[in-house]
Amino acid sequence: MIPASFDYIAAKSLDEAISLLAKHKDDAKVLAGGHSLLPAMKLRLMQPKVLIDLGRIRDLSYIKEDGGLIRIGAMTTHFQVEISDLLRRSCPLLPETASHLGDMQVRNKGTIGGSLAHSDPAADWPASILALDAELVATSAKGDRVIKATDFFVEMLTTSLQPGEILREIRIPSGKSKPAQAYVKVRHPASGFAVVGVAVNLSIDGGKCQSAAIGITGVSPKAYRASKVESALKGNALDAKTLSAACAHAAAAVDVNSDLYASAEYRKQLATVYTRRAIEIAAGRAK
Amino acid sequence: MKIEGTQKIAAPRDRIFAALIDPAILQKCIPGCEQMEKTGDNQYKAKLTAGVGPVKGAFTATVSLQEIIAPEHYKLVVEGKGQPGFVKGSGELNLKDAGSETEIQYTGDVNVGGLIASVGQRMIQATANMLAARFFKSLEAETATNSPASSTGT
Repeated sequence: MIPASFDYIAAKSLDEAISLLAKHKDDAKVLAGGHSLLPAMKLRLMQPKVLIDLGRIRDLSYIKEDGGLIRIGAMTTHFQVEISDLLRRSCPLLPETASHLGDMQVRNKGTIGGSLAHSDPAADWPASILALDAELVATSAKGDRVIKATDFFVEMLTTSLQPGEILREIRIPSGKSKPAQAYVKVRHPASGFAVVGVAVNLSIDGGKCQSAAIGITGVSPKAYRASKVESALKGNALDAKTLSAACAHAAAAVDVNSDLYASAEYRKQLATVYTRRAIEIAAGRAK
Repeated sequence: MKIEGTQKIAAPRDRIFAALIDPAILQKCIPGCEQMEKTGDNQYKAKLTAGVGPVKGAFTATVSLQEIIAPEHYKLVVEGKGQPGFVKGSGELNLKDAGSETEIQYTGDVNVGGLIASVGQRMIQATANMLAARFFKSLEAETATNSPASSTGT
């Protein structure tokens, strides 16, 4: 398992990385934590001629809150998200998602930006990013471009990032005082990826669900918002009848994945059950 | 792995069938197909780069068209191999008139082996569906406009 030969360049700044990417174009891949890219290179499923490493750029790793936004640098590791006090307080969905992700090695080295840009159909982050109505900031020689989470995931392993663009920051609207959020997951026993992963972000007032945002990963070739479930919850008390009617739509209007581990039918059932579980957990946390 | 589905295309059945057995049009419509060379009656050798996103592999394949009953049915037998693994399978296409449109019903059984199957198993079915969708989209573009289908016909 030895990769094809390649050149390695450690960029010292984001500007340098952008100009290197503009120079090498399709021959180059941007290296973040390397926990998807390097295994693929070792199997020679990817053979970039040049790797542009973002690992030495210090100002791409941060978690801060200002102007009503939480900003997370793309090179922030999963572990840094998991242990962030700021996020545990104001957006617990992200640390919870991180805690389910991969194994310790992956969480220590892998980054939120790298994972999002790779866009694995069973990665955990996309579900949460969708449920939080996040914005993703891509940067290139032309400057910054802000992409809504719902526009970011195009298909398996493909995002709306354009050639020459590097994902720089993830922005999340600052949460309320008691966020009703939860991420639950059926974990593939070998890979740790999500067979089904459901992220829920609710707003509950006066016993009724004021708004619901639900992101689901692993079920379909790309993560999606379960909008039919959301609209069935909105304005209603989250009782058993509402929940079972709403969650039946968890995999509505998507192509459901099928593989050796889980058939499409089984995945669909898991999506229904785990969506309900995630909503119940999130609602319980609002109390 | 089973691949099946139906696809409606707004073009007459004769025209779609002609396109489906025309190597020049097939080459344009098969995602990543770089070359399609005739090696015998209804036998072709194809070179293609198949994959998803940045993960791609080069394959060479033999394609043969069998049981041709114009303009309603044929069987496609494909055997391909490349650095990331092999693909072996056959499929049947059936064409039906559906008003002014044509309905293409396809069903196939495909075996994928080697590296791509061992590490990419969870994405193979979705990739196959995606490639099929792209193929029919291109086929629709090819048959919906007037000129290409008639000018590339042999």
